[in-house]
Amino acid sequence: MNHRHLLPDEIDLLLDDEVGFGVAPLKAHIRDCDHCRAKVDEARFVVDALEDVPHFVPSLRFSDRVMAQVPVFVPWHVTARDTVAKWLPQSRSARFAVGALATSAASIVTVLLLWIATQTDVVALATGVAGDQVRGLVYDAGSQVLAAVFGEQFFAVIQRTGTFGIAAALLGLVAAAGGSIAGLRALAAASSRRRG
Amino acid sequence: MPAPPAFDLFNLPDADVVALAQQGRDSAFRELIRRYERPVFSLIYRMVRDRELAEDLAQDTFIKVLNHIDRYRPEFKLSSWLFKIANNVAIDHLRRRQLDTISIDGSPHAQTQDAIEATSFDVVGQQESALDEMEARELGGAIERAIATLRPEYRSCIMLRHVEGRSYEEIAATLDLPLGTVKTYIHRARHELRKELEHLRDD
Repeated sequence: MNHRHLLPDEIDLLLDDEVGFGVAPLKAHIRDCDHCRAKVDEARFVVDALEDVPHFVPSLRFSDRVMAQVPVFVPWHVTARDTVAKWLPQSRSARFAVGALATSAASIVTVLLLWIATQTDVVALATGVAGDQVRGLVYDAGSQVLAAVFGEQFFAVIQRTGTFGIAAALLGLVAAAGGSIAGLRALAAASSRRRG
Repeated sequence: MPAPPAFDLFNLPDADVVALAQQGRDSAFRELIRRYERPVFSLIYRMVRDRELAEDLAQDTFIKVLNHIDRYRPEFKLSSWLFKIANNVAIDHLRRRQLDTISIDGSPHAQTQDAIEATSFDVVGQQESALDEMEARELGGAIERAIATLRPEYRSCIMLRHVEGRSYEEIAATLDLPLGTVKTYIHRARHELRKELEHLRDD
């Protein structure tokens, strides 16, 4: 029999139900040693009492009080996914059909985009044509506005200065209109202050 | 993952419920509170020994955790995070109120009889509460009184070890303490409790 009594750490090992190879001799020791067995029993009494300690229950409204101060935020991707899910049909076969349709559409669009991307000369030509169209539309609209505001004769003078002259006249017109609006607003504000 | 109905949440592991909470599911937040309100409240209650205050601090704990649920990392246990915050709010409160040195017999720093009485922790004299009901029962009452005499650091360690069944490693991670310190605290707490409860064993 080993006559050395158990050290406090060794008693802790037994209390914690450790299973390492060093525990077996300690267990054997307490079987033979009344002193150490009494020490372990005494310590075990405390541990058992602690393990029987119950949980306390907070008030019934605890959860509501916490949730009142926790803003629940739904991330955009969850909202988007839920929206999509809402529009999807419930039945399996209908979902399959929708999925197949969406896949086909996506494939066609992808192939189309890829084809356009490879046709650089076609893209350049289309961009050029679109640019000319837009420029022509803006020029015509600006010319009509200037002719209406300044009259045909004065517009003919402006037209002789070229695109730069027309652009300058348009800018001047916009600035004059803006200034007039601002002036009118200031007058209206001053008038209402005086009335107040 | 579509949101499961509320009753399904009961069987989900914490990590999955947290994932649903991160997607903004109100029922998932409530499920997390339902799972941990008792352990968290009990830990704090035994630290501060005031029901109303413990509820406020437990509420703060949940608000802190749930408002930062997006920062939760699944490699850690949610319960460890909750206990860490709960312990911190309780310890911070005790430090603010300078109650950490108060024992049932009064502050060890008290020099006069008046000071000892002023700082003593009259467990029996508390207002009627669940804790008092516990203390009315002999062993339950004695163990609660004995826990109340422990230093707060020992108290949280021993509660996590024996009431919540946490391993030493988990307690060390939860309380940000070295493993050796946790072992020492638990050993000392058991020793102090053994002395406090000696008379019950003798009876």
